[in-house]
Amino acid sequence: MPADSAHLCVQDLGLQLGSFALRDIQLQAARGEYHILLGPSASGKSSLMKCILGLHERHSGRIELGGRDISREPPERRRVGYVPQNYALFPHLDVERNIRFGLAARHTGVAEADRRVDRVCGLLGIHALRQRPVHHLSGGEKQKVALARALVTQPEAIMLDEPFSSIDEGSRRRLSFELKNTIAEIGITALHITHSIEEACVMGERLSVLIDGRLVQAGSSRDLLERPASEAVARFLGYRNIFEGTTREHPVGTEVGMEGFRVLLSRQLPAGERVKVCVRQQDIKIVKTDVPIRGTLANNVFPGSFVRLFPTSDACVAWFRMQGSEQPFDLELRFPLHIKGRLGLEAGVKASVAFHEPALVVFRGE
Amino acid sequence: MNRIFKLTVVGTTAVLVASFVVLLGSLAVELFAESSLSAPQAAEVFFAVKLSLLTASVSSVLALVVALPVAYLLSRRSFPGKALLDTLLDLPIVLSPIALGALLLVFFNTPLGRGLDSIFGPFVFEVRGIVLAQFFVVVGLAIRLLKATLDGIDVEYEHLARTLGYDQLRVFTKVILPLSARGMVAAFLLVWGRAIGEFGATVMLAGATTMKTETLPVAIYLNFESADISSAMMFIGILVVMSFAILFVVRKADAR
Repeated sequence: MPADSAHLCVQDLGLQLGSFALRDIQLQAARGEYHILLGPSASGKSSLMKCILGLHERHSGRIELGGRDISREPPERRRVGYVPQNYALFPHLDVERNIRFGLAARHTGVAEADRRVDRVCGLLGIHALRQRPVHHLSGGEKQKVALARALVTQPEAIMLDEPFSSIDEGSRRRLSFELKNTIAEIGITALHITHSIEEACVMGERLSVLIDGRLVQAGSSRDLLERPASEAVARFLGYRNIFEGTTREHPVGTEVGMEGFRVLLSRQLPAGERVKVCVRQQDIKIVKTDVPIRGTLANNVFPGSFVRLFPTSDACVAWFRMQGSEQPFDLELRFPLHIKGRLGLEAGVKASVAFHEPALVVFRGE
Repeated sequence: MNRIFKLTVVGTTAVLVASFVVLLGSLAVELFAESSLSAPQAAEVFFAVKLSLLTASVSSVLALVVALPVAYLLSRRSFPGKALLDTLLDLPIVLSPIALGALLLVFFNTPLGRGLDSIFGPFVFEVRGIVLAQFFVVVGLAIRLLKATLDGIDVEYEHLARTLGYDQLRVFTKVILPLSARGMVAAFLLVWGRAIGEFGATVMLAGATTMKTETLPVAIYLNFESADISSAMMFIGILVVMSFAILFVVRKADAR
């Protein structure tokens, strides 16, 4: 996205916090966009969010919101709402007074304050909670009250710091849809930080990945999952099959020789180059040897046997050892649970697996 | 082994409680032996109680007012030399009150001390000297107690209030003060209790003059010195009752 069309625009941002640093952060979000900042623990997500909120003073770079440079503004003048990870509902105030807390600071008139509180409470369905003490609320209710408190002040953007970390697994999916709908209905730009890839994919229109203080990739969830920009991103996104090898010329295109096996790519790469080839667990297909294999799938077929299978609630993860390999296992696969029963897959069962070439990701020069 | 452990725990507690009861019991026996209070004694008791309450209240309020911003700084900020500052501010807690009083006495003999004397009036051998001595004895404790209270308040409340439009001063008054109110009341009572019992620094700076700088501990000292054991016991009794009441109120407030 061009920086000049972004509503929230972070340019060349740098921050030093002891031995940790955020470096050259570039982040853009369009007006009304629900943007996910995704990264492992201690990657700097919260620090970046606090820079945008003005709670950490950046050492370099610029932050713009709606075309206004807010880099030097104190937090109270930035008009950026905040829903902290623990919601930080004031324990000495009831729900109503928590929601109205920011309105008093901005000297909002009584009639206008009533109108805003009524609207936001209606939108979030929390009218019934208004007179309750905050320590009697469930995790989901606390989240809604914290969101209402941020939204009634009509900020230009809102920062959501791991908003589902205190929500039980059963309610998380429903609340994530409700949260996204509310934000969309208000039309506010949102930056939501999480380390959960699933949550990011469900919630985000665009995602930015932050690893070790650097924003390494931004794009749609599909872009990120199918085309990670680096091995670090691939590893974080859950790629378990990452191999290093050397390229050789091949009539089909390029052959990458690994330790014990080789992968064929139809595209041309210079010979003698060290590359890394990655493939997601779900992109490795179990093939039937009695049926002809079509297309590029036939280029990369590997006979072997299953070492162990780990059925989960909706899928099966399996370790596969290639024929002749001395490794405990070479590949990790993930497939729908019913495949296990249909193909009679157990530890020790011989089978062949294949890589679908468009799903192969190649990193050069890392 | 479990039985031995339980016996050790309960037995040690029982012995300690018994020793306290014996001490207080001997005080009670002595007090009951003296059934009446003469008019000069009553005036002295009234004066000592009034002076102790007044000086301890003023010095405790001053200590808390000064300790609050310092405790906030120590609780919320990191800066070079913080450990050194922290240690320096802890000194009054560990330093002997007599040494602290002596330092104050020496200070008021310096040009700066004499300058302060001329601006605020004399401190040495005066009631203001009692307040100052008590202040220096309790301020370290006040900082420690308030810092513990502020450390217990999640910094996210302050962050959140800033994003909602409050500047730092209003965050302090609208968020920090209400959230730390209970801790501050408990800190005040403990500091006040310590100030009421202060003797060493007071006697060094303000002296021990009957009906002038005669706080409860000074009255105990003066009566013992003049071998008036029964009067001394009466002052001790008053001090014990006041101290017990303070600790009991603090405990009740904490339990809520």
